[in-house]
Amino acid sequence: METNQSIHFSSSSSELSDNDTVTNYESQFSNHGKRKRKRSRSAGADKDCQLGHKHSRHLSEEHKHYHSHSHKRKLKKMKHKHHKSKHGHIDKECKHQHKHRTEASDQDSNSDISDSEKEKKIQKKSQSSSERKNLLDSNPDTETLDYNFDFSKYKASLSRMFFRENFFSKIAIRGSQEHDDFWNFVNKFVEFQRKKAEKSKDAKVQLGAESGQLNLPKVFDVSYKINISFISKDFDVFFKKNRLVDYQLEKELSRGRVLQFRSIILHYLDFQQKQKFQKIYKICKDQRELPIYQHKETIIQMLQKYQVIVVAGDTGCGKSTQVPQYLLEAGYHKIACTQPRRIACISLAKRVGYETLNEYGSEVAYQVRFEKSKTQSTRILFLTEGLLLRQMKTDPLLEMYNIIIIDEVHERHVNTDFLLGVLKCVIKQRSDLKLVLMSATININLFSNYFNGAPVLKVPGRLYPIELEYCPVKTDDSVDSKRLDPRPYINIMQRIDHKHPSTERGDLLIFLSGMSEIMAVVEAAKAYAQKTKRWIVLPLHSALSIEEQDKVFDYAPDGVRKCVVSTNIAETSVTIDGVRFIVDSGKVKEMSFDPKFKMQKLQEFWISRASSEQRKGRAGRTGPGVCYRLYDESDYNSFDEYSTPELQRVPLDSLILQMISMGLPDARKFPFIEPPNMSSVENSIIFLKEQAALASDESLTPIGQMLSMLPVDVVIGKMLIMGSIFNMIDPILSITAAMSVQSPFTNRAYTDHDALVARKPLESEHGDPFTLLNAFDEWIQVKAQGQGTRKWCKRRGLEEQRFYEMTKLKRQFKDLLKDHHLLDREEATARYMSSDERRAQHGERKKLNELRKEKMKDNKRRKFLTLEDEEFKVSDEEGDINKGDDIKDLEFRLSNDLNQLQETSNKSRNFTLRDINLMKIILCSGLYPQVAIPDECNTYRRDTEQTFHTKSKPFVLLHPTSIFASHPDLLTPKYLEHKKLSQSELKGLFSSKHELLAYVSLLETNNKPYLVNAMKVPALQTVTLFSNSIDTNADCTRLIFDSWLEFKFKDALTAEKVISSVIQLRSTWHSLLLVRLKDTFEGLEEDRRISTRARQLERILASKLTEFLNADFLYSIRRVLAAEMQRAYVGPGKVTDQGTAAMFDKILKVNSMGKEHPIKGGIQVTDYLTFNCLLDDASASVWGEFTQGMQRFWKCPLCGQSMLVNVLERLQHEAVCSSEGGQGLEQLQVEDSEKISELNPLRKSYFCTECNKELSLTTTEILKHKKTHLAT
Amino acid sequence: MADDKQQHDRRVFSCTTCDFTVDYHYKGRKPPFANCILLHEECYVLKDPFSTSGGFVTVGGLCSMCNRDVCLSNGCSLFYTQRFCTNCSVKHIQEFPHELQQEIMHKLKS
Ligand SMILES: [Zn+2]
Ligand SMILES: [Zn+2]
Repeated sequence: METNQSIHFSSSSSELSDNDTVTNYESQFSNHGKRKRKRSRSAGADKDCQLGHKHSRHLSEEHKHYHSHSHKRKLKKMKHKHHKSKHGHIDKECKHQHKHRTEASDQDSNSDISDSEKEKKIQKKSQSSSERKNLLDSNPDTETLDYNFDFSKYKASLSRMFFRENFFSKIAIRGSQEHDDFWNFVNKFVEFQRKKAEKSKDAKVQLGAESGQLNLPKVFDVSYKINISFISKDFDVFFKKNRLVDYQLEKELSRGRVLQFRSIILHYLDFQQKQKFQKIYKICKDQRELPIYQHKETIIQMLQKYQVIVVAGDTGCGKSTQVPQYLLEAGYHKIACTQPRRIACISLAKRVGYETLNEYGSEVAYQVRFEKSKTQSTRILFLTEGLLLRQMKTDPLLEMYNIIIIDEVHERHVNTDFLLGVLKCVIKQRSDLKLVLMSATININLFSNYFNGAPVLKVPGRLYPIELEYCPVKTDDSVDSKRLDPRPYINIMQRIDHKHPSTERGDLLIFLSGMSEIMAVVEAAKAYAQKTKRWIVLPLHSALSIEEQDKVFDYAPDGVRKCVVSTNIAETSVTIDGVRFIVDSGKVKEMSFDPKFKMQKLQEFWISRASSEQRKGRAGRTGPGVCYRLYDESDYNSFDEYSTPELQRVPLDSLILQMISMGLPDARKFPFIEPPNMSSVENSIIFLKEQAALASDESLTPIGQMLSMLPVDVVIGKMLIMGSIFNMIDPILSITAAMSVQSPFTNRAYTDHDALVARKPLESEHGDPFTLLNAFDEWIQVKAQGQGTRKWCKRRGLEEQRFYEMTKLKRQFKDLLKDHHLLDREEATARYMSSDERRAQHGERKKLNELRKEKMKDNKRRKFLTLEDEEFKVSDEEGDINKGDDIKDLEFRLSNDLNQLQETSNKSRNFTLRDINLMKIILCSGLYPQVAIPDECNTYRRDTEQTFHTKSKPFVLLHPTSIFASHPDLLTPKYLEHKKLSQSELKGLFSSKHELLAYVSLLETNNKPYLVNAMKVPALQTVTLFSNSIDTNADCTRLIFDSWLEFKFKDALTAEKVISSVIQLRSTWHSLLLVRLKDTFEGLEEDRRISTRARQLERILASKLTEFLNADFLYSIRRVLAAEMQRAYVGPGKVTDQGTAAMFDKILKVNSMGKEHPIKGGIQVTDYLTFNCLLDDASASVWGEFTQGMQRFWKCPLCGQSMLVNVLERLQHEAVCSSEGGQGLEQLQVEDSEKISELNPLRKSYFCTECNKELSLTTTEILKHKKTHLAT
Repeated sequence: MADDKQQHDRRVFSCTTCDFTVDYHYKGRKPPFANCILLHEECYVLKDPFSTSGGFVTVGGLCSMCNRDVCLSNGCSLFYTQRFCTNCSVKHIQEFPHELQQEIMHKLKS
């Protein structure tokens, strides 16, 4: 009966399926009870297998063993060894067995079968199968093992039996990708089999073909196509005993079902293998199809012969991804590949890692400013040009690499040109270093010639023919020319609709100059798309979030075209497949720089012929295309051949600072591929001197040295250094981070009434940097309170992404300062977390993983755009949180200690006016000389007409995004709030409250200059502390700063106080910087903390500074015009009377410090202060001469010495006394050191019960203090 | 960066039928990095490059008739109890079941 049953079963299942393996097992079970039968059968099987092994190698050693084992008579001893191998046998061999089940085998022990016997056997084999088939077909009694069984109901038991091995363990974990993938497969597979079975119900089993030397089973069975098997101990047990040892299986899981399931697993493994193989195969195939592949050998041969080669290829030829791999294959393994953009480094490292099947290794890595994936085993490193340059500081000959690829050289960024120049020198000293320049096919000879005729390999891209049409736009003067007329663009869309049936795929890419132009066209195009339903309009520019940008890569549904409206970002950096139509406006907006005014200009230019061709080429990447140029052919011919390299149009400050720090002292002589304007170099050197980064001999000052180490802008770098020195680092980090990313305030924040109202509480009367600080702090608060920040941001017209960027940047800046010992490493304050907190964190982590997974799936799904995709909905509904943002929120929560963040932001909000002033001074240390003085007539002007003057640029306006533009009343001086003064009264008004505007940048748009990111700063303190030149009259009552701002004091006593404070402060500041710099360099070797001496100086400086900021000096302020300055100085050698002359003589003899200033006249007391060089008007000078010579008794506050001195003598004494390291000052401070500690804004009063004392400490200091008690 | 000595000896699998080439980690039936897996033929095997948690990928094998290295792509080989390169399977097409004969003819075309 058993036998029968099994036969029936096999028959039914083989009928239903493609002869599933199940049948094979079942056939074997059926023999379990019958020892004799089994033996003979298995002996037969054994024989069969051995045959198979001998001739077709498809049996392993283990298989044989197994057979021997089942064949107990033969090799009983080996029993214990064969556990592992069983299933290999089971899968395959059983099949053979059952094929021969009717065949009585009597050749059991005979392993050497002659060929003729073998053939006989094969014949028998096919015969027997067909016999069996007939037999089975006729039997209706079956255990119906159909495909209607729901395996997923028995997940637990099946997992228990099959997935306990390490290899499968992931499948057993519910919620894992592997688990989901597998069970999806099970469902699909079963479903497929069921359908297939229904279809082929009546199909006749096809009989075997001719027999021959291959020894193939003749009845087709899908499982024969699977070359894989696996071992499962638990299944073995089940297979033997029909149950598991310590586990109760459901009775529904019959042997048949279990076997069926096992077969599904095999199919799954096979399916997985095929999938993975396909992936690898495709990588290889795609690589071969790239145009560059044809030149692989040539490139390697060229490099063997030459030190420098140029590979010129159009986008899409594959050079960026392939050339590094070719070099790796050729045996180079210290390969550096530079990229102009950070993002490209990361994506290329990922791509090349994937292609070299090293996705998760570090053989291919990237390194950018704040992140790296590089390790010891890295062979190909993608890095930014800037970083490679930085590496030369420690490795001047770049000996860590043996080949350097500079990609995208044609883009000609400042760093590209600099790197080329530097490498030109390096290769002379390192004959083993190879250099590969990769460029688009633009201006190739320039690069080749620069490297003494380096050989060029040209790789044509895959370009299809492109139809070109010039459609010049007639400029209509009646229309406001400021706004772009979108009609010509819509016309082209209409033409495409008329000319090309919507079934012909192909998208449109429009190149415009800037964001406002994009908005104009997008708006009109969307209106058109609404009508036709044939377009999806998508903007593309760098200000969009990554998610929005990514939309341009998705597919449009059938019959609909994408219309991507882009800046020149799509010209080279972003490649969109499927573009067939190009509309080229011929315009580009570029930030240019006017070095004369240090002003950035966003200007619209005609593009170059090179970029015009580049744009056109974008239409022919995937098929023939059309390019519409919205300008005349004559325009095209008048275009420049190439775009202006960046070096010619940006400030060179950082570049020059870096050059000097790398030991290239004279930028004027550097062998640039195309030298920049000399005036631009000179201007930058002047700026760096103004910033006190360069000394007058163009060597680096201490601060210059520090700045050259920090990979940030000079201005930001200075603020960070000062922030760390004055213990104000957290708010300064926030503000500098905010200045370094795009503004979180969107256009809506300034136009939408609701947003305007909602963001009002964030505004700071002190200015825009403080508004940014408030916004950031408030955002942290909202987050800490566990509320949805996304909605909060939307209400206020804020772009949340910017806050995430700021958080990240803040942390990076902080790490940078710590790395350079400008900030103490925090104690590893592993904050104690309660179990609840820990549980919550665990939950968040889990949720994050789930969300990420969901988003991954989402991303896969969202490959097709819908017509609604272009709508950017702003909705206030609850639950309108898209998954991406929630992920960011969770990531943020997990990577930041919100409590700590909240604590610091709480502090920010409790800033006193003193704190704010200190912050302003810190910010000004970077911003100065970017200050502007309000026009005298501002109080009588309308809000929008408020004008300001900078040193070089008069009549500048407030940028409309500035708080002062919307609230000009904030600029009204305090002393004017209640009274109206006449213009003449205002002129020369004495007050202690004069203010200037410090600004982050000057920007010119639409031919109007604007102050961007402005804040109010106390005039006297800012200017006296940071100006490069202070010129005085005889009694210092009149001062001119940096040749454009004049301050007058009411009396000589005030003037003396001011000047003496300034000398002390500036010299203490200077010595502190020296000490800190020393710390920094010494700290490079050991993990040193900031020295106590530095700490001491910091305290002194902070207290003195606060005193200075709080002082109420009465003074007047005025802008001095350039014409006036020409007759402002006494001039050298022009001593007016005997008395002064005598005094000069006396001074010059007595004190070598005081030299006459060669141009201004007067005495140069310090490098910034020139005494008595100002020519006073007649009346004043009389008084001045009188006071100047007058001697008084004076006690130096520093050294305590009493002396009889005149003004000059006193100034000189002070300059010397305080520059001697300010020891006197320290002395002075010892007494009230207690008071000083209060000056640290983070300190609060704390009463320690242990030592019974009132202390003033910061939060961390309190903890440390408590610890000292615990220790004792 | 990597040192010279770290340059491990690469083992390269090249298909003799198409130009597919790839570095492999193991040749045999029991990939050491997939402990419970057993292959029915000697294969060229890679550690799964697409996963961080182990796994393997078989990329090629030997034709059981002519003993040439062939990759697992449809165009190059076929597995049916043993591996056959396209050449050999075409040569012996008559011996394959009908279901496969079609498939083999298809290979020939591609
Ligand atoms: Zn192949
Ligand atoms: Zn072959």
